[in-house]
Amino acid sequence: MNAGLSRRAVLLGGAGLLLAACGGAGVLDSPDLSAAGFGTKATGTVQLWVRAATQALSAPIVTKFNNTHHDLNVVMTAIPDTQYVTKLATAIRGRNVPDVVDVDDINSTLLAYHDALTDITDLVKPLPYLDKLSPGHLNLATLGGRIYALPYAADVSVLHFNKTLFTKAGLDPAKPPASLAEVVAAARAITKLGDGIKGISFGGNNPGIMGFIGLPSVWASKDYLFRGEPGNQTANVADNRALRTFLQAYQTMWAEGLATTSSRTESGATWGKDFLTGKIGIWPGNEGALVGGGLTKEFATEVGVVPLPGAVSGTCVFDGGDNIAIPRGARNASGAWEYIQFALQTEQQSLLPEAGYTPIRSDVATAVFRAKYPRTAVAVDALPTGYAEKTIAYNTAVNQTSGPFFTMWTRAVFDGDVDGAFAAAQTGFTRALGQAQT
Amino acid sequence: MIHTDLPPVQAAVTPPPAKRRRGTLTHPSRTGMLLVAPAFLFTLALVVFPLGFAVYISLTNWPLIGRVKFIGFDNYRAIGQDTTFWHATLYTLIYTAIVTVPIFLLGYGMAVLVRSNRRGSVFFRTAVFLPYVIGLSTLSFITLLEVQPGTGAVNTVLKFLGLTDGQTAWLVDTIPATAVICVLVIWAASGLTMMLLMAGMQAIPQEVYESADLDGAGWWAKELRVTLPLLRRTIALTLILSVIGSFLAFNQFYILTQGGPGTSTTTVVMWIYERAFVELHLGAATTLSIILVVVVGIISAIQFFALRQED
Repeated sequence: MNAGLSRRAVLLGGAGLLLAACGGAGVLDSPDLSAAGFGTKATGTVQLWVRAATQALSAPIVTKFNNTHHDLNVVMTAIPDTQYVTKLATAIRGRNVPDVVDVDDINSTLLAYHDALTDITDLVKPLPYLDKLSPGHLNLATLGGRIYALPYAADVSVLHFNKTLFTKAGLDPAKPPASLAEVVAAARAITKLGDGIKGISFGGNNPGIMGFIGLPSVWASKDYLFRGEPGNQTANVADNRALRTFLQAYQTMWAEGLATTSSRTESGATWGKDFLTGKIGIWPGNEGALVGGGLTKEFATEVGVVPLPGAVSGTCVFDGGDNIAIPRGARNASGAWEYIQFALQTEQQSLLPEAGYTPIRSDVATAVFRAKYPRTAVAVDALPTGYAEKTIAYNTAVNQTSGPFFTMWTRAVFDGDVDGAFAAAQTGFTRALGQAQT
Repeated sequence: MIHTDLPPVQAAVTPPPAKRRRGTLTHPSRTGMLLVAPAFLFTLALVVFPLGFAVYISLTNWPLIGRVKFIGFDNYRAIGQDTTFWHATLYTLIYTAIVTVPIFLLGYGMAVLVRSNRRGSVFFRTAVFLPYVIGLSTLSFITLLEVQPGTGAVNTVLKFLGLTDGQTAWLVDTIPATAVICVLVIWAASGLTMMLLMAGMQAIPQEVYESADLDGAGWWAKELRVTLPLLRRTIALTLILSVIGSFLAFNQFYILTQGGPGTSTTTVVMWIYERAFVELHLGAATTLSIILVVVVGIISAIQFFALRQED
């Protein structure tokens, strides 16, 4: 009897230990950032994880770094975007994290909130170019006044328009739309040209795209979707006048046939390619899609760019792109910081437009830069007014097809039920916040 | 009365036969234990431990990133308020009900056509089985392209036939999207059903049919009175595989609709995936997985019971 009991106790104890071992550590220790020579005389290898979607921007920087640093070598690993957080979580539980992570800036809030990133406030504060960095990107990585990541590369949503079609439609390309009402009016005038020409095109079957090109029009008048600090937020939807105006504007354009029919089914695979055919008047999007879609030098002269006009007032752009951070548990944090400092230098930031990205330092936009990259210069200038919701629920609430934002968008714009969509959205956002914040 | 007259000395002289130690159910022999040890260890490591670990995770908040906290049965209690889970369960049941019968009937019909070794039957078997070999993920990506408005083959053909204007957006509304996925799955999965049933049909002894012929049975009578009853176990297997496959549907929905619009085409497994890897709640997601395992187990048991062979 006693032997049986002790055997059982041993088995249960063993199982418990095994479970604990499999669970691993949820939070790792922060590396020591105060050692002498930190971030300047590092040696060895730096493991850098980048998003597969944005690896093109990191590759030339890494190559340049390795060519100029003989004692320190950066090894870049591209992680598929949809697996990024999962793989990082697995690495944390396995106590084998990379030294630097280049993450979707939206996720930098999430990772900082869950104690996955090192507090680098004391390293960041002395940076001479701190006030030149994109405030929106930096805001996403700041929690409770502490900084956990730095802006790395911006992916900014702006309004592109075809100057030739504007002229043909009797519109002045020098006075692009300054409000969503003017966007609708311009789309109407351009669609009247006929011959398959449409006023506007958008990626209406992709929640990420619609958040990217749509929500800045809501944020322009500071009508944000979430109130409060991450982890303790409430939804601001029911009384959000800018959100309603935004939905009504797009519903009008869809109902009146001012948008391409593919705007309803465009999930991102061919996003922006119709604008490059020269038959679309207005295309809210980003530089990356144009460059990746095969923008020619000839057509580039026809493209005008402005920040996204607000639904009610003002202008705004989506502060998308990447933030860069040192995860807790990093083995070569000194080397990591050395790479981060290198990547943020103006020389390296100036390389980003070649990959379709926007530098995150305002002082990059010199006269030479403006002449070489006029469209990107508009995006750089818009960074101080850029924004992205600082929340741990962005993926759940906005980026998911099943999320409340996309449900509201589809019902309002394509089903024509703006009131019904709006009434249901507050509950949906509240539920999404509840699920993310539990 | 029967008795033997063995000399009493014999018992004393003849040594007792060497007593082979035989195991019992409660005290298995050492050799037996050694023989089953590898299988036992594999089962322990790959089935029992993961299941136990999953139960443990379900009793915690287990975020994908962050600290783990034991929360008892909170995750189980929260299922009642998880309206999306219940909607996904209902949708999965409806989807399962829609595809199961056509997969079986189509598979059975094709098995009848290809069970004999007539000319062309090998080609037909291969052609029908090929979609299953290619796999649902690849087929879903192909379907995604072929149902695109304007450019997809489906819309092009429908326009050519004068049935639509070729601009139908099949995947943005619940009913057309579900219809597309059901057609895709029925086409892709019926090949496996065909192969299983065909193998079952070929295993039925020819003598049984000859006997039925002598009794004057026609084609239908033989099919209903001979083939179907003798295929009972194979039919049970195909139906169980089909129902479990439908209950665990993920790839085709993830690729074609991503559960939308809204959550209208979200299946149970998709919802579990979202809870785990979008909302980062592994604890809650594991709880839903355990419920799913239990439900699938019960449904399979019911099917086994209903289609059991009465020997």
